[in-house]
Amino acid sequence: MLTDYATIGLFFLLAISFPLAALGLAALVRPRSYFNREKMMPYECGVDTKGKTWVRFKVNYFLYALVFLAFEVETIFLFPWAVKFNCLGLFAFIEMIIFLIILLVGLLYAWKEGALEWY
Amino acid sequence: MLSLLLPEIITASLGVLVILLAVILPGKGEKTVQTLTVAGLVAVLFLAVKIGVDKEVLFNGIYIIDAYAGFFKILFLTGAILVILSSANYVKNFSGRISEFYGFMLFAVLGMMIMAGAGDLLTLYIALELMTISFYILVAYVLNRETSKEAGLKYLILGALSSGILLFGISLVYALTGTTVLSEIGSRLTLEPALISAVILILAGFGFKIALIPFHMWTPDIYEGAPINVTAFLAVASKAAGLAAMVRVFISSFQLGFFDWQLILALLAALTMIIGNLVALVQSNIKRLLAYSSIAQAGYLAVGLVAANEYGLKGILFYSMVYVFANLGAFAVAVQVENDTGSNEIKDFGELGKRSPFLAAVMTVCLLSLAGIPPLAGFVGKFYLFSGAVEAGYVWLAFIGLLMSMISVYYYLNVVKVMYIGKSPKETFPAIEPSARLALWICLLLTVFLGIYPYPLTLWTGNAVKLFLG
Repeated sequence: MLTDYATIGLFFLLAISFPLAALGLAALVRPRSYFNREKMMPYECGVDTKGKTWVRFKVNYFLYALVFLAFEVETIFLFPWAVKFNCLGLFAFIEMIIFLIILLVGLLYAWKEGALEWY
Repeated sequence: MLSLLLPEIITASLGVLVILLAVILPGKGEKTVQTLTVAGLVAVLFLAVKIGVDKEVLFNGIYIIDAYAGFFKILFLTGAILVILSSANYVKNFSGRISEFYGFMLFAVLGMMIMAGAGDLLTLYIALELMTISFYILVAYVLNRETSKEAGLKYLILGALSSGILLFGISLVYALTGTTVLSEIGSRLTLEPALISAVILILAGFGFKIALIPFHMWTPDIYEGAPINVTAFLAVASKAAGLAAMVRVFISSFQLGFFDWQLILALLAALTMIIGNLVALVQSNIKRLLAYSSIAQAGYLAVGLVAANEYGLKGILFYSMVYVFANLGAFAVAVQVENDTGSNEIKDFGELGKRSPFLAAVMTVCLLSLAGIPPLAGFVGKFYLFSGAVEAGYVWLAFIGLLMSMISVYYYLNVVKVMYIGKSPKETFPAIEPSARLALWICLLLTVFLGIYPYPLTLWTGNAVKLFLG
């Protein structure tokens, strides 16, 4: 029983030693580096950023994402239901209608609270 | 089958209906919604009492309807009704969003009810999330108060973390046994080191929810920041729900011969009782005092699960029910005092004995019951819990419990002292609304009645835990 865990332990040790070995070897072999402006930049490709990166995002994006998430999940449930609709029968139909009504109430509420407006 | 699920179905439809009413009548019709919610919950309560099945397993074992689940459903519904009744005036603080408040209360109750009946770890998790997400919103409900918002955010972060820990434990159990159905896990357990970490992770996850030390850090801040009626509901019902699920999971699934989780839980319970009671000694805010007292109470309740015998389990159920009335009674009085003064400091209770003898009497009885003074109901509950521990061989744990109960009398009586001897600049107390008066009377009478004549509740709890004792 415990020998099974030896594999995991070995894997763990290997996982630690790999990056250590790679970084350690690189530290030994590489030439002494000097920090310069180019090297301290976050990415060495693409265009330079204009202005500060600490900007405020509108909370509307978040609200949209929340409403979107609910309907994304709805689609995931609806899709297999639609594919197998013929063999599922009336019970599944009523079940899905109940599910949709509950989601619809949620949408109505989000609408009332102004989550769908952009300001 | 559907008729057995009627309490849950009605609660869910009621919640959706209330949200719909909030859309149709924004900022109006709060009285209607409040009456509708209370009436609906009372109807569901009667229905839950009426469904007297022994044991019915639905949907291939993922949902169980039995006397145990029935007991806790009745407990949650009673708690919700008492909280709504006692804070009918207080909800005016929730400017403009009173209807939604009742909607979230209903969803939280629904989550708790499903938690009590969950026969599958994933059903349990979904129900837990339904309850906790409703509570995240409820805790942050007074948007124009800084502390309430802060408490909501803290609860969200810590709640998500603890859910993650619980889920990690559940995933390990699933990986090792290949099932999440509680009744099947028990027979598929094998001696695995990973199983021990799974049990510990699940224990820690539940420990967060019922606020065992060292997983209690969120409790005082969130209890203090939340609106007081939400604090009351959080302290009573969400704790009982966590405990209900925890007992079912640990007793029916994790009967491990090779790993003694009882000992770990015993240490946690001992720590919880000691630290909870000692820190409560120095609190000057009534919400914080009741928060630490509720941490200590979680310790007493955990003692019952450590014992895991008839007395212990019966004690958990008995004490949870008694705790509902005693704690909600104390909170109902605190709601009235906050309505009057707008603050929660203990010194605001000054001269309450003269200004409102009824409120002072309810507070005194409820606090003494929490302390476990006979002949009040708390004494009988503690008697069962500690006898269970002694019977199971945990004499030291029972001893710590008794010692700490004695220490707790000091801080409970401190509030009583302020009420009867303390000074107050005010002479009178505003009238209490009739619904709150009703809730206060229910708490007072049941706390006294169940202490003097505990037999009906003993019989009922004994019946409810029978299925765990084989």
